[in-house]
Amino acid sequence: MGKNLQISIARTAHLVLVILVTLCMACPLFADESVTAIKGGDLYTITSGIIKNGTILIEDGKISRIGQNIEIPKKAKVINARGKIVMPGLVAATAEVGMTGSGSKIADSLDPFHYHASLALASGITTVYVSSGRPSGSNPIGGTNAVIKPTYGDLDNMLLKESVAQNAGLSSWMGKTSFMQNLRKAQAYLQKLEEYTRNKDQKKLQELKKPSGVDTYIRLLKRELPARLRARTAAEILDIVELIDEFGMRVIIEDAVEAWIVAEEIAKHDIRLIITPREKRRPNENISGPSGSTLENAAILKKAGVKFAIVPTSPSFATWGIAGRDLMALPMEAAFAVSGGLDEQTALEAITINAAEIIGVADRVGSLQVGKDADIIILDGHPFHHKTFVELTLINGKILYEKSKSPYFSHITHND
Amino acid sequence: MANIHKYILLSILLFGLWIPAAAEDITVIKADRVDTITSGLIENGIIVIKDGRITAIGSNIDIPENAEIIDVSDKTIFPGLVNPSSRIGLSSSPGGGTSSKPHLRVVDELYPHQDVYKHVLQAGFTTIGLIPGSAGAGIAGQGAVIRPVGNKPKEMIVIESGLLMINFQANDSTKNVIKSVLDSAKNMTSSSDPKVQPLVNALQGKIPTFIKCGGPGEILHLLKLLEPYKKMKLILIAGSEQYRVADKLAKKKIPVILSPQIDFEPFTRNRINVPKMLTDAGIKIALGPKGDSIEAHEDFLREVTELVKFGLNKELAKKAITINPAQMLAVDYRLGSLAVGKDANLLVLSGDPLDVGTKIHMVMIEGKIVHKAP
Repeated sequence: MGKNLQISIARTAHLVLVILVTLCMACPLFADESVTAIKGGDLYTITSGIIKNGTILIEDGKISRIGQNIEIPKKAKVINARGKIVMPGLVAATAEVGMTGSGSKIADSLDPFHYHASLALASGITTVYVSSGRPSGSNPIGGTNAVIKPTYGDLDNMLLKESVAQNAGLSSWMGKTSFMQNLRKAQAYLQKLEEYTRNKDQKKLQELKKPSGVDTYIRLLKRELPARLRARTAAEILDIVELIDEFGMRVIIEDAVEAWIVAEEIAKHDIRLIITPREKRRPNENISGPSGSTLENAAILKKAGVKFAIVPTSPSFATWGIAGRDLMALPMEAAFAVSGGLDEQTALEAITINAAEIIGVADRVGSLQVGKDADIIILDGHPFHHKTFVELTLINGKILYEKSKSPYFSHITHND
Repeated sequence: MANIHKYILLSILLFGLWIPAAAEDITVIKADRVDTITSGLIENGIIVIKDGRITAIGSNIDIPENAEIIDVSDKTIFPGLVNPSSRIGLSSSPGGGTSSKPHLRVVDELYPHQDVYKHVLQAGFTTIGLIPGSAGAGIAGQGAVIRPVGNKPKEMIVIESGLLMINFQANDSTKNVIKSVLDSAKNMTSSSDPKVQPLVNALQGKIPTFIKCGGPGEILHLLKLLEPYKKMKLILIAGSEQYRVADKLAKKKIPVILSPQIDFEPFTRNRINVPKMLTDAGIKIALGPKGDSIEAHEDFLREVTELVKFGLNKELAKKAITINPAQMLAVDYRLGSLAVGKDANLLVLSGDPLDVGTKIHMVMIEGKIVHKAP
């Protein structure tokens, strides 16, 4: 009898436990926090214009609805953005930040507690491209790179994508020679592979050996990865144009200060650029044609149809006195392109969707669109105004920065 | 049946103890207060010591007739301090890349006949956890537990291979080394290979694993990496800002070893008491000197006192310098508090150890007076 009772109690307890567990698992569906709504702001979607007094719904960290007259679910957590500007989190196409360590795999060394993560959030930056190691000496390729989000304190959601481009360096002639030789080796191999496969020549296919060390070059030739190079002068850029003519790779050029001189060539070869409008370079006195930097670089490139991202002079976070020239003032850098004649829309794209496209994550971030990550910033003014502050930064729908609670800027107000 | 066995065993034990008792040296300490750590404060306390062990402790205890009596009725008795992790008296660590050297033993580096041990004793430390020299990241070897007395390494050693030491760094090469080495020993129960046995012991939780780690970000990487090895007893030798992941450490019940210092919250002038923040989060902590210098040992109690002044619970602070480090080093069965059966390692103090102005009058290790203040 006693034993039977024990069993029946055990069974009841078991049943209750099962019901409880089921309820708990279902809980998130009913929980208040599962839907977030940002309402009343002017939504700078970047990809589909400005929605005045619009609403964004966020579910599971993604944007689920966007537009005017959207009904907000009763249980939603509501963020009032009336009178504010709401836009996608900014994308830094180059960043040298302390959120990563050394090593050949960036995911294994991310530091979600680095203060650069909190500075990025305060600056409205929600996506950054970082690299570890660079090509050196005669080796034209080297290092790795990744796109990360400054999810302060949260390691699991920090990495967006590892290895989004192949770092390449052609500044030494040895490096360039080696780069081209390897590309030719890889190209010859691919041609043979294609030919034998087409002819169904099993014997030759078996005999065909892949040359060593060409895996990366094969990926470049197959356009699976873009090559990311640095080229400051028009001559260096034209060098790369020649490489594309021969090998048909996708190319991203950093630091393209003289790009305006060869804008047409760049457009024709579909090269993506990363530029810094305020970067300075003296004209070269030994060249009779145009040379050096100009504030109009971005405007000229836009006219030619070139896609570019904008980064500041110092792609890091500096708290020690070059205020306005580091990542804390990323929109300011884009604003300088506007003063050089660029339209505001393109300038905004250069720090959001185009930057995201260039670093290979435009499917996830860079605009306010249904299905994209809810990486959103709320501003107290126009992004290009010098008085504007980021008031709120969300990554994956979570509020990670509030100006009013942050030690950085909460004390600064503009009284006018 | 089982009960009868117990009685037989007990009587054998009692009989066995009783016979030599008459012939052995017995020391009795009479004190004003005895801070036992594990069973409260005893006023007018008496401690009976036989063969270097405490055989009786309390206030109403019969004093054996032939006992040598140390009458310190105006003093406080406190357990000898336990330094949880140290390289004192050892040569500086060699550098090196990422590697796995579980067979290296710190006891093989041990070098008695050094004045440092005398100074450490005078500062109240009777037990020291020694960690192997860190040859870069990876598995650094086996640590030991020693007493700072003795002329030969064997006389100093309490536990020869007491812990496995890992120097963690958040990067792929270090992670790969640690993971592959642990995985290779994961399914073994024992091994004759000196490179493998310490790993087996650590994986089964038979010895603790001490881990040197950087900031809170690295701790997250570490917890993720070692998640599959559930039985390992992890003890963190703190880097910086551990309080940022205090909830995670508390949830996993991972104790932390740190130095007694008041820090600044990064980029501010706000002072923070990290040991207090960690204990508030429910984390077990051990405090050790700020470094291996003699000064760090001499300043130690004063610095712990300062932490208490800035809010750390005094009782927790006392545990953090005695029983907690003893538990972390897995020697709490004989060290770290004053209780029957434990080693008579104790300090005779002019007052509470965490009061400003308290002086150490005498240090005893296993019933022997090893230091007496002039």
